[in-house]
Amino acid sequence: MRQVQPRQNHLGISGWIWAGNYKLERYLYILHRVTGLGILLFLLLHLTMTTVFRIQGQDIWEATMSILHNPWFKIGEYLVVVALVYHSLNGLRLILQELGFLMGKPTPPIYPYRDSLRKKRPWTMAIIGIILILCLVFFYDFVTGGW
Amino acid sequence: MRNTYLWFIQLVTGVLIAVLAGIHMVLMHLDAILGFFGVDATGITSWESMIQRSNQGIWASLYIALLAVVLYHALNGLRNIILEMTPSARTERIITRTIVAFGIIAFVWSAYVPISLLSA
Repeated sequence: MRQVQPRQNHLGISGWIWAGNYKLERYLYILHRVTGLGILLFLLLHLTMTTVFRIQGQDIWEATMSILHNPWFKIGEYLVVVALVYHSLNGLRLILQELGFLMGKPTPPIYPYRDSLRKKRPWTMAIIGIILILCLVFFYDFVTGGW
Repeated sequence: MRNTYLWFIQLVTGVLIAVLAGIHMVLMHLDAILGFFGVDATGITSWESMIQRSNQGIWASLYIALLAVVLYHALNGLRNIILEMTPSARTERIITRTIVAFGIIAFVWSAYVPISLLSA
């Protein structure tokens, strides 16, 4: 008897950059993971700076700060802020969905179907909008604050 | 069951980080916009300003609390990513123990500095 093979949804490592047949949410998931790893890298640098360099006194601290005021570090700092904003707000969306919010009330499967993906999509777009607005606000501050 | 608890703590720490790191980020980076609302946050990274905060127990406590939740969230997230590659049970144990050991060392060292600076 012919056996029906289950559909292979596992994209492996390539799924980190390519979402296959999945939709927008899969790219948000990839970006969530990439920003998380980026923030972890920044955290290690930040902890080194605020412990090893801070405890050595004023001269080392001020020398470190002057290096961090370099425009290239400022650009990196802005990217970290963008990653934090994205990771926080997308994480909030994921928590709300996991707890059953933003999914809409259950409805009977009568055509035209309205599945949970379609119900939560407007909230997803709203969160993306808030992320973009906050990124622009931080960008304005970085530009006017002096690079 | 253990992974359910670990995941639940991941969600709780995520919310705490969003609040605490959000305040930290706004104070450290939004000085131009804060100035518009009458809050002076210029020179917040200067040695004098940093030492002034370091001498206050409330700031040291907040930093240590933020450190604990950030380290848990980051390292548990990293563990989840690695374990998604479905290593063997033995490799999984090694990864978990390595990450826990790294987290404890990072926490003890990073908490020691604000405590020692309380009397600076």
